[in-house]
Amino acid sequence: MAVIKDLGVGIGWRSEIDLTVERLPGVDFVEVVAENLHTGHLPESVTILLERGIPVLPHAVSLSLGGAEEVDLQRVEHLASVAEAVGAPLVSDHVCFVRAGGLDSGHLMPVPRTRDALDVLVANVKRAQEHLPVPLALENVAALLEWPDGELTEGQFLAELVERTDCWLLVDVANLYANARNIGTDPQRFLDEIPLERLAYVHVAGGEQHGDIYHDTHAHAVLPEVLDVLDELCSRVAPPGVLLERDDNYPSDTEISSELTAIRAVVDKHRD
Amino acid sequence: MTTTTPQGTRLSAEEIGYLTAGPGRAAETALARLVDTGAVRVSRDGLVTAVRQDGQAATTSLERQVLDQLSTAVRFELVVESAAFSPEAQALHRYLVARRLMQPSRRRSDAWWTYLVLAAALLLLGVVSSPMFLIGVPVAVLLVVWARGREPLTKAGRQALLHATAHDRVHAVAVHGFCGKVDGRPVAGLFGLSQSVVRMLPRKGHLKKSTPDRGGSSCGSCGAGCGSSGCASSGSGCSSSGGSSCGGGGCGGGGGGD
Repeated sequence: MAVIKDLGVGIGWRSEIDLTVERLPGVDFVEVVAENLHTGHLPESVTILLERGIPVLPHAVSLSLGGAEEVDLQRVEHLASVAEAVGAPLVSDHVCFVRAGGLDSGHLMPVPRTRDALDVLVANVKRAQEHLPVPLALENVAALLEWPDGELTEGQFLAELVERTDCWLLVDVANLYANARNIGTDPQRFLDEIPLERLAYVHVAGGEQHGDIYHDTHAHAVLPEVLDVLDELCSRVAPPGVLLERDDNYPSDTEISSELTAIRAVVDKHRD
Repeated sequence: MTTTTPQGTRLSAEEIGYLTAGPGRAAETALARLVDTGAVRVSRDGLVTAVRQDGQAATTSLERQVLDQLSTAVRFELVVESAAFSPEAQALHRYLVARRLMQPSRRRSDAWWTYLVLAAALLLLGVVSSPMFLIGVPVAVLLVVWARGREPLTKAGRQALLHATAHDRVHAVAVHGFCGKVDGRPVAGLFGLSQSVVRMLPRKGHLKKSTPDRGGSSCGSCGAGCGSSGCASSGSGCSSSGGSSCGGGGCGGGGGGD
């Protein structure tokens, strides 16, 4: 079985903070949103990071692998070309759908956790894998609703997905926390049920409570409770990598650096 | 931080920027200070974003104007352009006029056109009547008026600028602009900015917008530095002598800033 190499602690590369990402100490790898890159003209900053030997992982948001429609191979091929352009060891997207009936949701919509939906997802993932030059990891999403008549827990759903497609898992602990707050899922049970040996890396992000809803905004500070979920995960397995996602309302370099340090402290605690 | 001249004139970096090259340079300086303090980020491709802060980051109204633009990412050159044409920049000009460091733009502008028309009439008369002295007088008047029309600073303003130095990177922007050089090094590089970003700043004469207060000033920022009276660019101790090419009115003088 292939093994994802040790990635360390990383941060999502965004053009607004490119110079910050370049100068931050302790950035072992970065993730780029694949749809934002043109393979013929990589951003100068990404090229600089590659020249320094920093792994760059393409992260897609538009494959809609959980959708009932056929996979858009143009999008898959773009992801493949980005992976080749940056020499990525793996690529990722989400367990979700973003399009249906000609409409684009603009959000990562959760997939019904039924066996029928799993069959569709498995077929789409296999189709995408045929066109990708590197392993594919799939991420659990933050959901504000659960579809009715679910037959599997989220952990069981992902475990079966991995078994049937040989994909990897990208576990977002902030999404786990958000789902626990908003729809009452149990992060412990999730971690019990997924095949942790297939963990590619981990996402950490900040969010904010608005009324009764916790929003996984990626625009606020990482809550200690999210780091607690990371701590729980690290107590079970040493994740190959952990990555901080920040997409808006960027704080100072110092603050971002502090968040990376806090993440590293959790990871290192379990490695000592 | 302010610069104090031997005459006791205290000038902020923003004021030095304005006196040196007009509102565009003052806007650049305001942006430079915000970058310097970490209140603002500029990306490699020239996107400017505000850094989330709990406290008040702006120390001048022009800096506040810059920050107010940045609820979303804005391109570098558009931030400078908007600040340069803002009421805050106009207020800075009025303040410098009130301190007798700059000429009031409208008075100079009106006089310039009046004398220009008078000199042209004399020239025409000279050509018609032929005697050489009748030609020489209007030509001399023309030259004087031309020079006066290009000089927005008062004597005090020029003297104050003699002591302005690029002793830190914010003042380097005030004196030389993001497009300039200090010790042979690009000022932009002091901020980690590439030349491709700062080259997007409006060049001298390419940025024009009339407002009553400005009297039709065009305030190209890059390339508008250190006007016709010359800029002794001698490293970090550069003495920028007079000659705002883009004062409160009648912009356009001067050789390009480096």
